[in-house]
Order: sequence, then C-alpha cells, then structure tokens
Amino acid sequence: MSSPSKRREMDLMKLMMGDYKVEMINDGMQEFYVDFHGPSESPYHGGVWRIRVELPDAYPYKSPSIGFVNKIYHPNVDEMSGSVCLDVINQTWSPMFDLVNVFEVFLPQLLLYPNPSDPLNGEAAALMMRDRAAYEQRVKEYREKYAKPEDIGAAPEEKSSDEELSEDESDSSDEQVAGKADP
Amino acid sequence: MLKLGFLGFIVSFLVPIFVGFALGDYLNCSYKFLIAFLVVVILSIMGFSGVFSSLLHYMLPRKRACEGVAVHEDTDNNNENKKIRILEAADPTVKISSDVVCGENNCNSNSSDNHGSGSLVKKEEKEEASFMALGDANSTDIDEDLHSRQLAVYGRETMRRLFASNILVSGMQGLGAEIAKNLILAGVKSVTLHDEGVVELWDLSSNFIFSEDDVGKNRALASLQKLQELNNAVVVRALTTNLTKEQLSDFQAVVFTDISFEKAIEFNDYCHNHQPPIAFIKTEVRGLFGSVFCDFGPEFTIVDVDGEEPHTGIIASISNDNPALVSCVDDERLEFQDGDLVVFSEVHGMTELNDGKPRKIKNARAYSFTLEEDTTNYGAYVKGGIVTQVKQPKVLNFKPLREALTEPGDFLLSDFSKFDRPPLLHLAFQALDKFVSELGRFPVAGSEEDAQKLISIVTNVNESLGDGRQEDINPKLLRHFAFGAKAVLNPMAAMFGGIVGQEVVKACSGKFHPLFQFFYFDSVESLPTEPVDSIDFRPLNSRYDAQISVFGSKLQKKLEDAKVFIVGSGALGCEFLKNVALMGVSCGNEGKLTITDDDVIEKSNLSRQFLFRDWNIGQAKSTVAASAATSINPRFNIEALQNRVGPETENVFDDTFWENLSVVINALDNVNARLYVDQRCLYFQKPLLESGTLGAKCNTQMVIPHLTENYGASRDPPEKQAPMCTVHSFPHNIDHCLTWARSEFEGLLEKTPAEVNAYLSNPNEYSTAMINAGDAQARDNLERVLECLENERCETFQDCITWARLKFEDYFANRVKQLIYTFPEDAATSTGAPFWSAPKRFPRPLQFSAADLSHLHFVMAGSILRAETFGIPIPDWVKNPKKMAEAVDKVMVPEFQPKKDVKIVTDEKATSISTGSIDDSAVIAELIMKLKQCQKNLAPEFRMKPIQFEKDDDTNFHMDLIAGLANMRARNYSIPEVDKLKAKFIAGRIIPAIATSTAMATGLVCLELYKVLDGGHKVEDYRNTFANLALPLFSIAEPLPPKVIKHENLSWTVWDRWILKGNPTLRELIQWLKEKGLNAYSISCGSCLLYNSMFPRHKDRMDKKLVDLAREVAKVDLPTYRRHLDVVVACEDDEDNDVDIPQVSIYFG
Repeated sequence: MSSPSKRREMDLMKLMMGDYKVEMINDGMQEFYVDFHGPSESPYHGGVWRIRVELPDAYPYKSPSIGFVNKIYHPNVDEMSGSVCLDVINQTWSPMFDLVNVFEVFLPQLLLYPNPSDPLNGEAAALMMRDRAAYEQRVKEYREKYAKPEDIGAAPEEKSSDEELSEDESDSSDEQVAGKADP
Repeated sequence: MLKLGFLGFIVSFLVPIFVGFALGDYLNCSYKFLIAFLVVVILSIMGFSGVFSSLLHYMLPRKRACEGVAVHEDTDNNNENKKIRILEAADPTVKISSDVVCGENNCNSNSSDNHGSGSLVKKEEKEEASFMALGDANSTDIDEDLHSRQLAVYGRETMRRLFASNILVSGMQGLGAEIAKNLILAGVKSVTLHDEGVVELWDLSSNFIFSEDDVGKNRALASLQKLQELNNAVVVRALTTNLTKEQLSDFQAVVFTDISFEKAIEFNDYCHNHQPPIAFIKTEVRGLFGSVFCDFGPEFTIVDVDGEEPHTGIIASISNDNPALVSCVDDERLEFQDGDLVVFSEVHGMTELNDGKPRKIKNARAYSFTLEEDTTNYGAYVKGGIVTQVKQPKVLNFKPLREALTEPGDFLLSDFSKFDRPPLLHLAFQALDKFVSELGRFPVAGSEEDAQKLISIVTNVNESLGDGRQEDINPKLLRHFAFGAKAVLNPMAAMFGGIVGQEVVKACSGKFHPLFQFFYFDSVESLPTEPVDSIDFRPLNSRYDAQISVFGSKLQKKLEDAKVFIVGSGALGCEFLKNVALMGVSCGNEGKLTITDDDVIEKSNLSRQFLFRDWNIGQAKSTVAASAATSINPRFNIEALQNRVGPETENVFDDTFWENLSVVINALDNVNARLYVDQRCLYFQKPLLESGTLGAKCNTQMVIPHLTENYGASRDPPEKQAPMCTVHSFPHNIDHCLTWARSEFEGLLEKTPAEVNAYLSNPNEYSTAMINAGDAQARDNLERVLECLENERCETFQDCITWARLKFEDYFANRVKQLIYTFPEDAATSTGAPFWSAPKRFPRPLQFSAADLSHLHFVMAGSILRAETFGIPIPDWVKNPKKMAEAVDKVMVPEFQPKKDVKIVTDEKATSISTGSIDDSAVIAELIMKLKQCQKNLAPEFRMKPIQFEKDDDTNFHMDLIAGLANMRARNYSIPEVDKLKAKFIAGRIIPAIATSTAMATGLVCLELYKVLDGGHKVEDYRNTFANLALPLFSIAEPLPPKVIKHENLSWTVWDRWILKGNPTLRELIQWLKEKGLNAYSISCGSCLLYNSMFPRHKDRMDKKLVDLAREVAKVDLPTYRRHLDVVVACEDDEDNDVDIPQVSIYFG
C-alpha cells in the first residue's frame, strides 16, 4: 500500500490527539464528524458546530470536504447546505496541510475574519459590511439557536446510519463500500 | 512530468454541497488543461439547425456519391447493391494514366483485370465539381457527432482544411497502412494509396489490413476496401503503377514510406518548387530504427504553433511608468512568456491601452509583467481590464532534401541518453539506401558479412564529411541496424504512423508546429538481453518472419505464449489489440489475452476507435474489438469481458486470474481505475504498462515489479476548480457560467422530477424521512417538490413556455437585481475597498425580448425539456420563431421587488431572524400538509420524467438549454459568450482525442512489451515517454526506481509485503511489530479501521483474531479458498517518526 492511506490515519490520529472530538461515520476513515468550538474573541464563541469531514480518495493531494452540519450565520458559509467557501481548503490546498491545520488554523481564521468580498451568504456579507454590530447580533442569535453545546451530543446518531451509507453507495465508483456502524 | 489520466464522460457536475465534493473524485484531467485545448475558431454561432439537416447526409451508413466516384451516373445500379463494378476507361486524354481504383469497388477482383488508362479520374473531377456545387455545406461542414473529440483538438477551421486535402501515401507496408488509417480517421478529402509491389507473408508482421489470403495481391489494392470502411466520407483510391512527379501535383501532401533517396530527391525538388508547394514527407521504419523527413516548402506559415488556448489575465493595476508594470489578480498564475504579444480590453482609466494594438511583454512573472511602453502620460489606471495573449503566425523556411541531407541542421531529440544518435542514424539511413541500391536487396538478418558491408559504407560516408564527421560510428548499433533493416515492426509502424499522420495534418492545416526537419529514433533496448544465435533469426515461413528476423524465434515463442490482460477497449484498447495481434502476442497454444470494458460503442468513438464501424453502435466494445482483432490474426486467443475492473468484480478477476498473468496493459480513461489496477499489479507483482493521451499529448509509464516505482507513486496536481461563491454569484469566465448551467440543468430537470417521483411513489415514507431529517436540506427538497406540483405545475405546452419565460426572468433579471441591490456598484467592504473589484465582474439584469433569438431559443429549449418532464406533447410550431415569440409574449411577468434587505431586518430582529432561519421542522410540517392537498389533484399514476444530461445528442435540446443558461449568464456579467459546440466541450467535459497520439502511445508501449515478455531487462532498458505531437516534443527517459525505505537493519519498497503466519490476534500483530522497533497506532483493512490506539473501545479488540475482526468490523467477505488477509498498519519508530511499512499479510489458514 502506498502512503496516501497512511496519511489519512496519521492525520486523523493527530486530530484526535489534539483533543478534538471525532466521530467516525462507520469505521471507515473516509467520513467523520468533528466538533468545532467557535473561537474566543469572536461572536461565535460559546457555540459548537459539528463539522462533517470527508476525505476524498486522492487525499492529501485533494482537499478534504468540509461542511457545517448545524447552521451558522457567516458570509462565507452557505446557510442552507453548510458549504464553506475558503481558498485554503479548496483552490490553494496543498498536501502539506493536514486536518489539524484545518481545525486549528483555517476554520478559526475563517470565523475570526470573515471575508465579505467573496460571499456565499450574500445577506450576511452585506450586513457585515454595512452594520457590523447588527451582523454580530445576528451571529449570536444563530449561535444560541443552532449551536448550543448541549445539543451537539444527541443530534448525529440518526445521521450516521442509513443516510450516510446510501451516499457511500451512490458515489462508490471504485471505492470500497465501508461496513455498517460499529456495534 | 505530467501524467495524463482522464475520464471522460459521465461526470456529476453538481455545485458541491461540501467543498470539493463532486468533481475531484472522478477527474484528474485538469479542467484548465482541457480548456487549453479548445482552440476553436468560432465562425458562426447561429445556424446549427440549418446545417444539421445536411449533416444527416453524412451520418448515413450507406454509401454516397462523393465516394463512389462514378456512381452518380447510374443510380439504379449504384453501390447500395454492393455490386462489384469495374470502372471502364472512356476518355483517353486524362492526365493520370494509371490504375486508379476507388475504394467502393471490390479491389480483389479488380486486380486481375486490365482496365485501361483510368478515365475515371477525369470523371471524378467532374463529379466532385458538381458535388461541390450542389452541396457546399456538405463538403465543408463537419459531422460533429463523429468528430467531436477531434474537433476539441483541432477546431473547425483546421477540420475544414483537412476536409479539403488530398493526400498520397506511397508504400503500403505496415507504416503506410498506419499513416493512411490515421488520415482516413481524421477525415481528409482523399487518400491515394500507392504501391507497385505485392503482399508478402513478411508484411503480415506489421500491416493490420492484410491477411494470409492477400499474399500475392497488389498492396494498394489489397488495402483499399478495409481502409475505406474506416470512414465513408473520405475518398480512398489505389494507385498501382509507376508514379511520376507530375502526378504529385494532385495532392496537398505526399508521404513516401519506401522510396530511394534518389527518387525522393527528384520528387522532393518537384514538390518544393511547385506552386503552391506540395508538402513532402519521407519516412521509414527499419527494424527498431525509424526516420522522418519533412519539407513543407520554402515558406510555410504556421497558424497556431502549439494548439494551446491564448493565455489571459485579469488586471489589478497598471503603473504610469516607462516601462509600465502590469499586475494581475493573484487568483491564478499568469502563463505569459517574455516576448509574447498581448492585447488589453476593458481597462478603466488608462483607456489608451484598449486600442486593440498587440503589445510585447517583458519580465513575465507569476502575477505581473512589464510593457515596453511609456505610460507616464496616459490616464491613471482606475479598475478592470483583461489582458489576452495574441498568437502570432510563424513562417518556416524548409530546405529541400537535396540540401538538408548535407546540412541537416538540428535534429529533433527524443531521448537525452542518446543525444549522439541522430547524426549517426542520419548516416546509417543513407548508407542503407546505398546498400540496397548496390545489392538490390536489404541486409540479411544475422549476416555478419552484410552488417560489415553496411558499416563500411557508413564509414566511407562519414569520412567524406571531413570536419562534420562522427567521432564514433558505433559498429555494434549499426550491426543491429543492418540485421533488422528489412523488417517493418508493428510497434514502430504504429508509433511513426502517429507521428507522420500528425505531420500531414499540420501540412494541410497550419495547425501545430511541424517537425523541422529530421527525426530519428531507435529502440535497440527492445532487443533480447541474451545474444541471439543467427540461426534463430531465420524465417519460419510464418506471418511473424519479419519480427523473428529482429528478435529471434525464442522471443517470438514467449510473445505467443504470453497471458495478457488489457484493461479497456476504447481508443487505446483498439490500437493495442491490433498491435498485439500483429506481434503474435497470446497467439500461441499457451497464450491467452483477456480484454474487458463495460462500455458500448457510440458514434463519437468511431473517429479513432478504428476497430468499430457504424453498424456496431450500441454493441459491447470489448466483444466487437476482440472479433475484429481475431480477423487481423486468426490465431489470437482472446476472451472479451464486459466487466468493469474494480473491487466489485474481484470475483471475476480473482487471485488465480491475476496470478496467471504475464503482463497487464492499461487502456483506461480515468485515474481511479488506473490506481486500482496499479494496486492489483503491485499486490500480485505483475508488470503494468500504462499510457494515456490528451489531444496531441501522450504519455507512457512502465511499472515493473521491484525495478520501477508504481503508477500511484507520483500524481498530477489535482484539478483546479472554481470556488463555489464564484460559481454562485461572481462568475468571471465562461467556465464558471457553464458549471452553474449544468448544475441548474440537473436541479431543474433531473433532481427535482426525481424527488417528485420519490414523494409520489410513497408519500408517507417520504414525508417521514423528511420529518426525521428535519434540516434545511429536507426543507429545500420539499419546497421544490411542492413548487413543481403546485405553482409551477405544467399541464399544457403553454404552461411550459410560461415556466421557461419566468425562469429567464428569475435567473437573468430578478436574481441579478437582487444581487446588485444587496451589493450596489459602489459598495465597499469593511476596509473601504470597492466590493466589485477584480476578478469580480459587476452584473446587469437582462431585459427579455422575443426579438432576441438567443432569448427565444432559451425559452424554447427550456419549455421543450420542461414539457418532456411532464410528458406533455411538443407542438410542431415550437421551432417557428414567430409563433414562439407570440406564445412567449402572452406570459404575464410579475414586477420584481428586491427583498427588503438586512438593513430593515435589523430593526425587527426581535421578532424573527428572517425567513431563512425559521424553525425548519415547523416549515417541513406545513409543506407536507400542502403536498398532501396537492396530491389529491393528481392522477394516481402521475409521475414525472427526470432528464439525464446527454451531451452527445444534438437533437435533444440539452446542450441548447445549457448553452443558453450559460450564455445568458455570461451576458449578465459581460463575459464573452460561446457557441454550442464549445459549450459542449466544456460542460460535457469532452476529452480532446485524436487517432495519431493514441497510435503513437500504443506503439511506444508495445516496444516496451518486447522487454517485459523477454524478461531479464534492467531498469536502464525501459523507457517512459511524454510526447506532444503539436510542438513536436518527445521526452523519453528511464523510469524512476521505487523509493527504498530503511528502518534499523530492514529495508523495503512498495513492492514488498510482510507476512505474518499463524492466525495472530491484534495483540500479537502489535507485538510482532514492536519487536521490529515499530509502534503500531492504527490498523486498517480496506477502508475500515480495525484498531486505533486513540479509541478506548478498540482496546477490547486486542485478543481477537485479526481475521475475525476483519469479518466482524470491516465486513470483509473472504473467499473460502483465501488463506490470508491484508492489513495496512501505521507505525512510528521509538522516536515518534512515522515509518511507512509494507502491507502486512495475515495468514489464518
């Protein structure tokens, strides 16, 4: 076996050693959830977001897919789908980066310094540009409504079963279909 | 070095839900790369439908007047009857007094007939003239279904020039046949095959057309019919008598594969001085040596030197300075080079630069360059601006052969380890010509006497050169040259057929840079490692005699008994099958070749997958290819399968299958499959011969157990993809618009109807699932379903027109109005910088007008497809613009009010956050209620018909809608629009492909196959290639060895595997590794984790047998005969450094 598969294991390992709560979807190393705490000194502080991470076959040559599961109000995150528009985890990704970078640097930076000039949530961007205080207020409302730490523990159970599996199969091309959730 | 791997066709094109989700897994062929090739000279945007009816004519499988020259005159007796007809001479005054026979006639029976001097040529001219007059469109327009992949390389202008070119190919042994094949597939106007000799058994080593029955027939005549079958739109003729130079004036390009230098010089002088000049190519393959000489005339103009799309940049600033510094946005690196000419457009402020004048650039950097221009007094740069490279034509002054022989200039190098070869081979080929003219025969294989004679001729020629002579004439190499001189080998013919075919295309079109002027190549490393006894070279009176004369009969036996697996039966696969059939690979009693491909034949395949004919469309590729290959060599032991190779077919391609193979040849079109086969070959320690093409480029890579690195060890950088926000709201090029268009197409016509059907099939189950999900996605799905069944439900065609018209309003007016309401033109970011700054482009809404045909066309395509999803019949008048316009004007379009935005909402924040964030579950419940109501009004059997995007059908309106969506959006953002064809290339991700580069790649691989099947070659003997026929460039080099990893006193490579026997437990495995100084922290099987030291619950697994863990956790289904399983272990040494250890095989039996 060549190195890429071990990079997955190493990166995942480092993430877990960094005290992130990681929950595997199945026992595969392809998809998992990571709990992400809003950085202090940002209006996101106090909220916890569940991030769905998917490592593509070509990881680390190809960037991981990152999406917010619970809602967040942010100019660069699509409110509906949770997709993130961030160059370092998309166009300028390099195999030198790893998952710890994503959670320790890229996402905190994104939440601390939103970039309203490349918005995915145009409304949030416009509000941020015009009325920073109102924008931060809105962020907090969302945070309190959707990102309460106590809610995070319960939510994912149902998600991890059939839905994820069926997704596995639909793009299974050459990828081995991972087994069901570990009992 | 780039590896080219591609997949082509069905690629899901969603705007990713998660970043990087949809595109990357499937594709490796860089988007940019692809686009770079789409140098399409767009002549007309409109007028497809008008042309289309005439194109239908081209698609007919039956034969047409333009091929069967004399057919016009008696239509009741024409070729449809497949009668054998002999064209009689009638007019003795024609200038070509030779036996010219057309492809449609049965040449075999003709060959014995003496039909006088061929008046039919004259007739033909007349006929062609009248044909042209009748249907100009027919002869100059392009069957885009057939040629789409090739069009993506050449563009329409080049294709039109090809269609007007008449080519002579003289010498119909293997090389001539390959060249003619490539040109006929490309679609020139006519190919005339010239050969005065007869087919010998000897020819069967290299010529895929001849069978043993053809021995004794004239080569040109024997080739005619089978070559004609490749493309009915090309006139194929045979010429069997002595050629005079005056006859050459009938052609735009002439190719000689078997001609003496004396004759060549005479012909070349004539061609060189002819007005206009006739492109002249002399080429030969002699054993493992080959040569090409090109002379396209004293002043040949190249229109496009490299075939790459002009580079562009988005300007960020320009200084008022001398020289002026131009900086571009740092989204993408600039690809300009010093000396390039560029033009500017859309520059605000420094408008002096917008004059369209080409300017030369200097100091080209990644994001900036300077202009040799004093801009001090120009207006100050404000914003905007695009800089575009202007491609300059280039003029080449070719020397005629007479001069070039003594002053050859620079040779095109291919292999830097052989930099001194070309001058030597230049002498060797001249010496061989002398040898043949003196003795009237080629040197005999194995004859030291003949070899010595050749060497002495070379020595004499060399001595006569004085100062220009070679230091070392390498007698050992010349001996090999002499021995093989008589033989034409198939792999060499395939390779040179590709190169020369491409040169002819260049000569006819001015597209790509010609070979200037000599090219020499050898592959002596392909010879067996052990010396061959001269007796072993002797002919055995078999079809392989030519090959035996080069390699000896021992290697021939090895080839025949080889067990080969060819993965894929597309363009590469077809060429490979032809090559190996001719080489006799797997043609012995012990031999067996397995080919597999799960695809069926489509029309667009026919322009290069030459084993397929139009009547095979819809049939399985592998089966058709295998049966065609068997007719090339009846002794071929071949089995055709329709299985895709992957983890799901490991029951078909099981351990025994892999273990029995001698070699694997990849003929794939996607990286994932390549990686999978690579892993299997690594596992079973099998040689893998890998190749790929992209347009005029190709590469080959040899993966040899323990000698070279594996395919997956190096990778192309992943393809760049546009950021989502760009695609959503801020497109700045047509690719962004097309990406968006495909995503909208899928949403509207495929996903939503499918979602509707999912609901209707089982409303309760669907509703429950949505309630359980309870998220934004579920809500969105329900909203779409409801919209489709309620407000936007269509019952009549007029409803569909209304829908399409309102979609137009929504996409191209309302959304844009909303966006520029949210972000006005003067909006500034928090830092005060303008929001609408490069690369963002400020959009403007469109005002619908039925008088604008592109608007109308959009509504037409949209309403037709919408009607299809609802099963509503499409009226005939739909294509009548006037009626359509009337219908569209009936649609009531509500006035748009921008959503009162965030400023207002901020005041009411106490009441609600905004519609977007109302509790999803409450909305979901309400939507389900409404849906239930709605369903009552529907017939119980009502279902929608989802539409799947199909790019290759010009009549289905899919590309019309996608091009419409993309172009209207482009218009919003003032981005240049594209025609439907170019839209199809980009949106359909059509991989540019041509026959020439494919043929060359397979020839190169088969030269390596000799080495693999001989066995015992060292890594220095193998060659990987990267080539670009457009430049032309050949970069041939030794493969890289595998990386050696060392740990303590152990060392290993990727080819190694560790074995642990005795059915160990997890703990035992960890302990076993511990004893080697390795701390295992993670163990996985397939994509499943068996153990990770971070998971406390995994500690419970310590004393389980690994095989049981694999069965329980990873759900590995081990076949009953299998006694082991393989796990991947991630380890650290005692200093916490990661150590990449081999795969570990756990034996439990």
